[in-house]
Amino acid sequence: MARWSDLDQLMGAMELFRNRMNSLFNEGDRPYVPGQVWIGAETFPRTNLSDTGDNLEVVAELPGIAKEDVNVKIQGNYLEISGTRTSDAPEGYAAHRTERGTASFSRSFTLPYDVDAGKVEATLKDGLLRMKLPKSEAAKPRQIAIN
Amino acid sequence: MNEKTELVTTKQAGELVHQLPIATPAVDIYENDAEILLHADMPGVVKEDISVHIDNGKMILSGTRRLSVAGASTWREFGDAEFRRTFSVPQSIDVGRVHAELKDGVLRLHLPKSEAARPRQIEIKAG
Repeated sequence: MARWSDLDQLMGAMELFRNRMNSLFNEGDRPYVPGQVWIGAETFPRTNLSDTGDNLEVVAELPGIAKEDVNVKIQGNYLEISGTRTSDAPEGYAAHRTERGTASFSRSFTLPYDVDAGKVEATLKDGLLRMKLPKSEAAKPRQIAIN
Repeated sequence: MNEKTELVTTKQAGELVHQLPIATPAVDIYENDAEILLHADMPGVVKEDISVHIDNGKMILSGTRRLSVAGASTWREFGDAEFRRTFSVPQSIDVGRVHAELKDGVLRLHLPKSEAARPRQIEIKAG
C-alpha cells in the first residue's frame, strides 16, 4: 500500500534529481526557474499576484532598475508596468558576456478587481517592486450580519 | 510495526529530498587591465544570503531568495529559488582581494588580477 509520505518522498527525490540534471547545463545562456508557471524567457518583468482580502499585492522582478526608470499606470482593474533597463556597463572595460538585457519593457495585466489607484503603495527594494493595491470599496470583502 | 513507529523511522532516515529550485542568474562579464568584473541579476536576494566560493580555478556563486508571501496567490511566475552558477576563473586572479557589492538585486563582483598578471609596458633603453 502506497502512503502519502512515500509518494511525497518520491516526488521530492525526483525534483532533486531534476535539479542535479539542470545544474549540468548550468552554463546555458538563459535564466530559468524550474517548477514555476512557464512563461517565455523574454517575458519581463516576471510578476506574482496575491490577494490578501482588502488588498491585491503585486511583486515584480526588476533587478538593477532605478525607481525613476519605472512607470506604473493603474486604471480600474488595468495595471501596466513599463520602463527602461539602462546599461550599467562600466567605462573602460571590454565586455566578454552580456546576458542582462538593456531594452525597454512593458507588461499589462487585467486585475481580478478594480483597485483604488489613489491609495496604491509601491516600493522598490533589492530589485523587487512591491505594490499594495487596495481594492475599491465595492470589491472589498464584507462581513454580513445575520439577523 | 504500527503506523506511528513507521512514520517516525521514515523521518529518521534523514534523506535529503527537498531543495530550492536552482535558477541560473543572467550575468555580464567585463574585463580591464586591473580586474575582471561580473554583474549578476539576483532580484530579491539580500547580502546575507550570498556566498562566493573560489577554489582551484572554479568559482561558485550562490544567492538564496526567500520571499514572504501573504494572502492567496492568484498567479505566480517566480518563487523562492537559489541563484547558482559556476565559473572558471583564471589562476591570475588575486583571490585575497576579491570583493563584491550588492545593490538593487544586482551583485557586482570584482576579481582583481594579481600584480604579476597585469600587462606591463616594457621600456626599451637606447643601447
